[in-house]
Amino acid sequence: MSETVLSVDELSAGYDQADVVRRLDLRVDVGEVVALFGPNGAGKTTTLRAISGIVKPSHGTIRYLGKDLSRLSPTVRARAGIAHVPEGRGIFFGLTVAEHMRLGYRGETVDPEQAYSYFPALAPLRDRRAGFLSGGEQQMLAVARNLVRRPRLLLLDELSLGLAPVLVEQLLPVVRQYALDNGCGVLLVEQHVQLAIEVADRCYVLSHGDVVLHETSERLRSDPDILVASYLGQRRRSGEEAAL
Amino acid sequence: MVLSPIVAFALIGLGSGGLIAGIGLGVVLSYRGGGVINLSAGVLAMLSGFCYWALDTGYFGITFPTGWAITLTIVFALVVGVVFEFGVVRPLRGQPPLAKLTATLGFFVSAQAAVVLGFGEEARPQPPILPSGIVSILGYTVPVSSFWIAGIVLAVTLLFVGAFRWSRFGLGTRAAAENEAYATLYGLSPNGLSLANTLLMSLAMGLVGLLGASIAEVDSSTLPLMIVPALAAATFGSLNSFTVTYIAGMLIGMAESVLIFFSSQSWFPTNGIGNPLPGVQELMIFVVLVVAMFFRAGKIPGRGDIVERRLPPAPRPRAPLKAAMKWVPLCAFLMWALPFGFREGLITSLIAAVSLLSLVVITGFVGQLSIVQLALAGVAGFTVSHFFINFGIGFPWAAIIGVLLATVVGLISGFPALRVRGVSLVVLTLAAAVAIENFGFTNSTWGASVTGSLVPAPSLFGFNFGPNASFHGIDGAEPSPLFGWFCLVVLTVIALWVCNLRRSRLGQEMLAVRANERAAAASGVNVRNVKLIGFAIAAAIAGVSGVLLAYSYGSITADSYDTLVAISLIAFIYICGITTVPGAIQGGLIYTGGLLAYAILDWFGLQGNWLNLLVGFLVIASLVLRPEGGATYLFYRSKRPASEVTS
Amino acid sequence: MSAVLSTSGVSVSFGAVRALSEVDLEVREGQLVGLIGPNGAGKTTFIDAVTGFVPARGDIRLRDRDISGLPPHRRARLGLGRTWQTIELFDDLSVRENLAVAAQRSTLASGLGEVFLGLWHGEEQVAEDALDLLDLRHDADRMPSELPQGRRKLVGVARALAARPRLLLLDEPAAGLDSHESAELGERLRRVVDAGLPALLVDHDMSLVLGICDYVYVLDFGKLIARGTPEEVRNDPEVRAAYLGGSTADMASTADMASTDMLVTMPGSEATER
Repeated sequence: MSETVLSVDELSAGYDQADVVRRLDLRVDVGEVVALFGPNGAGKTTTLRAISGIVKPSHGTIRYLGKDLSRLSPTVRARAGIAHVPEGRGIFFGLTVAEHMRLGYRGETVDPEQAYSYFPALAPLRDRRAGFLSGGEQQMLAVARNLVRRPRLLLLDELSLGLAPVLVEQLLPVVRQYALDNGCGVLLVEQHVQLAIEVADRCYVLSHGDVVLHETSERLRSDPDILVASYLGQRRRSGEEAAL
Repeated sequence: MVLSPIVAFALIGLGSGGLIAGIGLGVVLSYRGGGVINLSAGVLAMLSGFCYWALDTGYFGITFPTGWAITLTIVFALVVGVVFEFGVVRPLRGQPPLAKLTATLGFFVSAQAAVVLGFGEEARPQPPILPSGIVSILGYTVPVSSFWIAGIVLAVTLLFVGAFRWSRFGLGTRAAAENEAYATLYGLSPNGLSLANTLLMSLAMGLVGLLGASIAEVDSSTLPLMIVPALAAATFGSLNSFTVTYIAGMLIGMAESVLIFFSSQSWFPTNGIGNPLPGVQELMIFVVLVVAMFFRAGKIPGRGDIVERRLPPAPRPRAPLKAAMKWVPLCAFLMWALPFGFREGLITSLIAAVSLLSLVVITGFVGQLSIVQLALAGVAGFTVSHFFINFGIGFPWAAIIGVLLATVVGLISGFPALRVRGVSLVVLTLAAAVAIENFGFTNSTWGASVTGSLVPAPSLFGFNFGPNASFHGIDGAEPSPLFGWFCLVVLTVIALWVCNLRRSRLGQEMLAVRANERAAAASGVNVRNVKLIGFAIAAAIAGVSGVLLAYSYGSITADSYDTLVAISLIAFIYICGITTVPGAIQGGLIYTGGLLAYAILDWFGLQGNWLNLLVGFLVIASLVLRPEGGATYLFYRSKRPASEVTS
Repeated sequence: MSAVLSTSGVSVSFGAVRALSEVDLEVREGQLVGLIGPNGAGKTTFIDAVTGFVPARGDIRLRDRDISGLPPHRRARLGLGRTWQTIELFDDLSVRENLAVAAQRSTLASGLGEVFLGLWHGEEQVAEDALDLLDLRHDADRMPSELPQGRRKLVGVARALAARPRLLLLDEPAAGLDSHESAELGERLRRVVDAGLPALLVDHDMSLVLGICDYVYVLDFGKLIARGTPEEVRNDPEVRAAYLGGSTADMASTADMASTDMLVTMPGSEATER
């Protein structure tokens, strides 16, 4: 039985007293890549934010390596090994690539060469400000900077946003490999479902804040109908099928 | 050689330029470190200046040698920095920029009151810590200290530049300033970074306080108000660049100094009685700031802070007529029955309440915080005075013209507000207030000399109802209750009218604009017109208060409409409720020189400054705990449960 | 049927980024038109361009009147009503006042006349009607912050209705709602359109859009990639590619998915066959 990195129980969270996520359960194991799908507004981003601590849950518990996170600030969670690449990439446009590698809390040292080894394309850009990188380069920087932190849990929000699919195809395998090599759990929000299914072990589909589908990627690859049905919000179909 | 004196005066200006630049650096640090537009940077410098003076001269009984005094002053600056961090910056994290700025105004008011209470209003000549020699350049004597100050501040600037470029702390600050939430995701601690920046800022301000001694005496207003040119310099640096801020600060200081030279020349315009036109420096700074705003403010980096909270709600007034019928007769009776000191306090309170109503309209309803309102009151007040002195025109025409003129000036001040908003508008109106005060009110042609400008008592058809009217109160003393009743009638009419405004469609549109300009436009609201009307209405109300103030004094000076007073007015209204009429009235009652202040003086012998000392703390407390303000809370909460039960 | 809104060649650029390019779209009398597309496809930008909140090139006509140069409040007064993804209510005004602001057509003169001379207007009937239509009468005197998300969304729609629009532009009205609320919202929107008000609906909830719209446009990377009836759009392989990711070639590789007719027979589609 594999060790659990993250377990989320009955999580409800949102903004201005309005819950976007409603009683959500999910789990990420060591070395596992888990994908979170669903239309905009389904609560995927909010789920990640609640895990990294930017959003306070209104209900439920989040455990990381068995520890309850509820009383810990985002800063402490980050230092404990939770890395979150938010929507919008989470990099700082005013800092150069090299400065991103020197950025960090006291006592943290990262090896820039390691980062450039993940994405060699970044190395010649080290003195360029992040704001002047292309979208794909920015995303590489975000992923590389977070991988060199050696996280135990990596949260990735919409890597593909505004990028051509081919770029995401370069990013995801690196993440996959890192998870395998280091036993890191990865929770991935992605709208490029096809790409994500290729690298993920398991998938959750959210709709209106609830999990409407939880399935292995293997099963989804072999039977895409399941995903299409749930993703396009046709939840009644499964019931109909049963009736037929 | 025409050029040589200009060069020499420019070099003399290096000294004040260095101080301006130094305070500008503090403004930039506060903004980069915590998103705070720190209006009290100059106040922090002043505190250190007084600390050094007291230690060096043995004001507290012990005289320290210079080295020790400097060291202890630096320690003191750090302690003040900790107080500033935990008293102002930390409690307001996640609040909108306007609230943070208001909190620094609160600190401003408190610290200034503390200094006046501790050291009095007079200037203290400081023993200079820099070499006091002079050098002769182009035949003019230039103090060596000017070069020292410019050099030391330059060194500090370069230190900051280096720290922000290369140190881990600097990288972290830059990251957090760009997006605080993202920074925490990297394990950075925004609290730690903010504390470090505040300490660095207060160290720099301590240094400015020490350096200031070498070119000027320490007093309670010079360094604090140096924030205005410093803001201009920092705005040129987009609140971001230390180097540009330094250069701009130096240039402003040098330009000021050259203007002083110009004013000694025969071609320089005079004020009509032979003295050079006053306030030209302040006018220049205002112009510089406007230029900076229009060309650089757009480049001020926005901050990715996590939470945004808007102005407190502005509830619909409940039965204002009923409330008026209860309170107005009581107030009218007190006006006659109270002893003269209390009566004077009550009149001051009523007039202050009128000027606070102007803030309720412009800030509470339209959402634009403006410091220029009291200066607009001054425009009306001086108009009344000069229409009498120059043309022999008295009440009511002079008053009406005064209010109209204030409205026009207010409308003009509204146009920049269409482009600059929020904190930038506060900075701009602050500079405008200082410029109007110095350029307009201290000019004896259209303002007043230090001896004051006469204001005739208001009278209609030969019936005098000014403060000196023959009808006296129960104690047989002035001011006349007739004038008090006049003020009461004016306040009542305006207060009811503002209640009406809140309920009218125009008022609803104002609140719609305040809440959300985009959505208001999408609902068919002409945002531009609504804002301009708001500025005009607020200016008219401010004008009325200025006229009343002029009548109550009988003789006005520039100090009657002082910018520092304007700042404390904002503090008072924030405590009581900037969005409601009861807030304005309560603010007037507790205002310095008002009824409560006089009562405290009479019963406990405490000066009004004690009230100001408290007010700063109350501002911050109310921003955090009860942003809607005390009076709004009392008036609207007590009835709340009933409505909640029914709904 | 005449076109209420017609755009041709509408393009929007943010710096070097082309957010919308050459979008031609039409909303006809009595129609509920859907505009869908993946995140970042430019749907909100399109609404912003039509309502005047971002500078756009191209031709925008409201009932044959060119409105492309007008400021937002003028377009609103000519009959463009819109809602916002982030709701954007006037938080300081009660629900009824929110509607009243939109309902009133105050000019400078009438506004000043009212506050100076006390020329009161009664309740705006159209605002009251909007309250009734969306079942909000119960909440009329509450503040927006006291309402749950779903009700706030409805207030946003009601406010747009109160302005007596000739066309309603709805930006993700169902985002953040639970599935029950979303379905209910769809029903209400259909009722509004059937009552004679054409609308353009942007939403991510595919079952909602495909279920209630008469005609659907699909945006991807700022370009229209498909248009048609909900059935046609459902079967468009490019649309599925845009939505489920991967290139069209990827989709061809999962041949069974592209060939399945499952989507056509989904229950949501029946609603449009009326």
